[in-house]
Amino acid sequence: MNEVVKILVIEKSYIIREGLKALLSQMGLAFRMDEADCIKDSFQKLLEKYEPQVVIANQLQLSEKWHGNRNSTAFTGLIIIGIVHSIPDENQTSHFDFTLNVMNSKSALTNDFQDIFVKIGLVSEENDSETISEREADVLRLVALGLTNNEIAERLFISVHTVMTHRKNITRKLGIKTVSGLTVYAILNKLVESGELKGGRKE
Amino acid sequence: MLIHKDMKMADVIHLNHHLLHVINRFGIQLGFGEKSVKQVCELHQVPLPFFLEIVNTFHDSTYFPVESMLQFKASELIEYLHQTHQYYLDFRIPEIENYIRRLTNDNSFDEEIKVLLLDFFRQYTHELTIHINKEEQRVYPYVLALEHYLQDNKLEKELVEQLKAYSIHEYEEDHDDVESKLFDLKNILIKYIPQPKDSRILNLILHEIFELEKDLNNHAHIEDLILVPIVEKMEQDFLTISNQDKTL
Ligand SMILES: [Fe+2]
Ligand SMILES: [Fe+2]
Repeated sequence: MNEVVKILVIEKSYIIREGLKALLSQMGLAFRMDEADCIKDSFQKLLEKYEPQVVIANQLQLSEKWHGNRNSTAFTGLIIIGIVHSIPDENQTSHFDFTLNVMNSKSALTNDFQDIFVKIGLVSEENDSETISEREADVLRLVALGLTNNEIAERLFISVHTVMTHRKNITRKLGIKTVSGLTVYAILNKLVESGELKGGRKE
Repeated sequence: MLIHKDMKMADVIHLNHHLLHVINRFGIQLGFGEKSVKQVCELHQVPLPFFLEIVNTFHDSTYFPVESMLQFKASELIEYLHQTHQYYLDFRIPEIENYIRRLTNDNSFDEEIKVLLLDFFRQYTHELTIHINKEEQRVYPYVLALEHYLQDNKLEKELVEQLKAYSIHEYEEDHDDVESKLFDLKNILIKYIPQPKDSRILNLILHEIFELEKDLNNHAHIEDLILVPIVEKMEQDFLTISNQDKTL
């Protein structure tokens, strides 16, 4: 992961908030935690303010009243974890992607967190899943040489769509977004020679 | 804890020395003595609420009081944004470039890598300069003219036509982010540069980039969330007035 994960915790209990912070710190995850002890304004406003990728909310603060909104486009991509104090009733927690029982032991909670973060792809199980594949390296080489997506597709006999998927994965894995940034990476890793680059790099 | 008007300015710096650069943008320099924030602002004729809100958004990254910031005067805001641009171009950017030049001094890196980084950083500087020039030459003058018109209500037909020809929506739509290359540079330096014998200069560069990035983010937030709505409101007032006046 290349960016700090923003986590918003909505929980009244200070002790639970601190406990969550301690557990999260052991996950090998770079995160920033913002805290709201209750929803004064709307949930929507909190999301706009903190722009979290993950929300961990007390079940009572984010009750099933709000359920109907879950499918709204404003929440696509957002992961919501519900804090519960007992084994939850299915229909009270269906608006959460995951639940976390704070009455559980430390090791159980650590496992739960681990499972959740692996499932949503914020923590990887194997360490090497972030290195680029050979195919991706081929694409990266051609990007650095200044070829367009269409040209790359032709050269490698794959569809433009596939090229775009490769590029997305390259950017995600390396944490480099721009063509000139990828070019620098390609040179540093000897995927291309600086002599091969035609004149000025474009972008 | 937010910065409060009755705190001593010297204590503000003790609390958070990163704020010095921001405070300079208001024309306020070191040598505060025992003066409070309020007194220093009065001395330099800086509007106190404006100063406090801006400084506090830097001090506490979760603090961004849109409602109260929408009360700012457009010309004040633009003066601040302008000073910020100057700071980037005249100070921060050359400083980073200097550090990059120094990378080969201790033989930590090959000349080739230095050239590569320098070249990349210059492309970034070029992008940033274009972005800033567009704002300084097109957008800010427009906003200032609009404010001027609304204050004086001078009904010069030519000016009114000029103002009608542009809208802040144009700016809003193509106001691109200038952080992508910086983001890339961070990862290149942190992850992909060959390990140097000594990374002290690299550390300095990274530190500068993180600071610049944070500053740019705050700056863009102010432009998008404060300047644009303030100007939108002014445009509405302008339309109302200019439509009422049949002579135009
Ligand atoms: Fe700007
Ligand atoms: Fe801008």
